[in-house]
Amino acid sequence: MILVQESDFNPAELTAGLRARSAGKAGALVSFTGYVRDYTENTATRTLFLEHYPGMCEREISVICATAQDRWTIFEPVVVHRVGALHYTEQIVFVAVASPHRGDAFDACRYIIDALKTRAPFWKRETLATGESVWVQQQESDAAQAAQWEIGNASPKNCHHEPD
Amino acid sequence: MNGTAIKVLYFAQVAELTGLRQESWPLNRALTGSDWLTLLEARYPQLAPTRRLKLAINQVHRPHAALIEPGDEVAVFEPVTGG
Repeated sequence: MILVQESDFNPAELTAGLRARSAGKAGALVSFTGYVRDYTENTATRTLFLEHYPGMCEREISVICATAQDRWTIFEPVVVHRVGALHYTEQIVFVAVASPHRGDAFDACRYIIDALKTRAPFWKRETLATGESVWVQQQESDAAQAAQWEIGNASPKNCHHEPD
Repeated sequence: MNGTAIKVLYFAQVAELTGLRQESWPLNRALTGSDWLTLLEARYPQLAPTRRLKLAINQVHRPHAALIEPGDEVAVFEPVTGG
């Protein structure tokens, strides 16, 4: 299930839905929730605007999920990504993966959020407490993290990832 | 789509710099993304250097070496920052 929407989402309901669809088959369910945080060092973020490319967003996330399903033994993942105006500390993104085994669930969930950050066409513009508006720059650590999945590693090693 | 133009979409910072969200761009022969970005930079010098920009052709990420053909939908943007 892939949703790109302005409205907020309920992780408990989304998790319960995936759990119901995979009941008795999945021994593990891993989920990730991303929130609006301070993106610029030493400067408070007040609001965030998420621009996106309608159509390509859903298409790219579908490809990412299909790749994860080819690579690991998992049920159809749940991905929800918000767009439009978001306030400080609000939820932005949700990924949930259910699998018979925890290793596949952890790896597939991590793969999906890493790939989403570098491939899904979303752009964040933050408005600072000072009133200044700036576009968030892609972090090299995000690109490096996503790249590690592409070279055939079972999972990224020695990653020192920035908090999401 | 017609065979004498491409539909160009601008997003985020690129849209702010061009002052446009989209436009029709006359094109009657195929050319590489790199060559087209050179034309884009000539039209909008404020985008320089355009080699840092990413391209999607018909809603799929494509390298600058990829061919753009008449009728294509071409999106231009900075590296994405979702998630």
